Amino acid sequence: MSNYFYVSPEQLIKDRAEFAQKGIARGRSIVAAIYDVGVLMVAENPSASLNKISEIYDRIAFAGVGKYNEFDRLREAGIRWADGTGFTYSREDVDARALANYYAQHIGDMFTEGQKPLEVEVLVAQLGTAIRPTKLFRIAYEGTISDEPRFAVLGGDAETIKGRFSASEADLEPLDVTLRNAVAALAGADRTIDVADLEVCVLQDTGGRRTFSRLTDERVAALLGT
Amino acid sequence: MGLPLFNASDDPGPSFLHFALRAGLVENPIGSGVEGRHATTVIAVRYVGGVVMVGDRQATSNYIASRDVRKIEAADRFTALAISGSAARGMEFIRMAQLSFEHYEKMTDTSLSLEGKANYLSPIIQRNNLGSPLMVIPLLAGWDPSHRDGRIFEYDGAGGCYERRDFATIGSGTPFAESALRLGFRADLDRESALELGALAIYEAGDNDPSTGGPDFVRNLFPMIITLDENGFTELPAEEVEARFVAINERRTQSQGIAGGSLR
Repeated sequence: MSNYFYVSPEQLIKDRAEFAQKGIARGRSIVAAIYDVGVLMVAENPSASLNKISEIYDRIAFAGVGKYNEFDRLREAGIRWADGTGFTYSREDVDARALANYYAQHIGDMFTEGQKPLEVEVLVAQLGTAIRPTKLFRIAYEGTISDEPRFAVLGGDAETIKGRFSASEADLEPLDVTLRNAVAALAGADRTIDVADLEVCVLQDTGGRRTFSRLTDERVAALLGT
Repeated sequence: MGLPLFNASDDPGPSFLHFALRAGLVENPIGSGVEGRHATTVIAVRYVGGVVMVGDRQATSNYIASRDVRKIEAADRFTALAISGSAARGMEFIRMAQLSFEHYEKMTDTSLSLEGKANYLSPIIQRNNLGSPLMVIPLLAGWDPSHRDGRIFEYDGAGGCYERRDFATIGSGTPFAESALRLGFRADLDRESALELGALAIYEAGDNDPSTGGPDFVRNLFPMIITLDENGFTELPAEEVEARFVAINERRTQSQGIAGGSLR
């Protein structure tokens, strides 16, 4: 008879959660916040080419923390899902909530049934229209989906950063103020982050169909006033 | 559609067509034989600093089906795509091309090169035309930001892609439009002369080919004119297009319909 050890479901979930948390905590965090006319996403990312934030569709963006290969595969699946859905039906039928639910199901399945849980947390952001609200959906490593009203923090240090950010939050503010708050929250009191180590993207209407843009270091520096 | 996840070994990559085929969003065309009708005229002319494209607006079956069709579309900021042939397949073709260029850009965070876009279309044309009686022939033109030059790519019915350094035409009005372009084209054309020549070529095609719509002074509908330069795709405003065709028409009225002498 082969060796068989009983592991209680509680213990199994606890072990898996610890494993995923440890993996996610190794990387840097991301802050996403709604500002007066758009959605801002800020990642601390020393790499200029391995992005954590990406365009999914006309009004939808993606951000991921944790293991790069794992969240990048989710990013690609999101673009395919959005382009495929828009091609089959209409561009206005591509809804962030549906995509966030698919991510939650997949990440949840991997947490309970996979060889190992995914060591990722992802964000799906949507810039609102007349028929859809502006939304931030955060999906945690075990598949929990949360609909964040004003801002969301992803990553191992999320609770601390969340505390620092909420302290400086009032009404919806303009982009520059929101960006300064987000960077200050990411950095903390005793640290500054170099502009070159920031990946900053926004969803904002500029007259065209696509609303996603990646801000250059110069633009970020100008907005931060440094 | 569920979340489309693939293993690294069988991933369709950044090509939307390959993904769409895998996911069953498009079908391979069925049928065979070529119905060689393409009632249209669209031309593209290179000038120093860009490309001008002019296209008629008429959709023809046995009768005139529509008088205000847009046969030239922006495939992305720096690329324009025109179609001749089956209207249904042409629309699907333009949608697939637009989506594919954008899909590639989002997947890889880099834009496809203009040559990459031109080559990408070849198998799509081949797939359509060799598998279906509803033929589509596109014309691709664009501003190439890496070569800083306007470029034109034409296709044959089997998907062969050829770069043209002067001008190109598609559709049933080709013989007439092409004659005008051959006589009027010079390598050092500026934007204004290219616009003039392009409008004249479409006027000629509309005058001689029953399936090409010329300027329609009754309904105030005129062929569409676009330019591609370092600022990207720009459609000329309706008043300017109208003024150009009114001018050509007045010249032609004065000469009692004789084209001679107005080309140069």
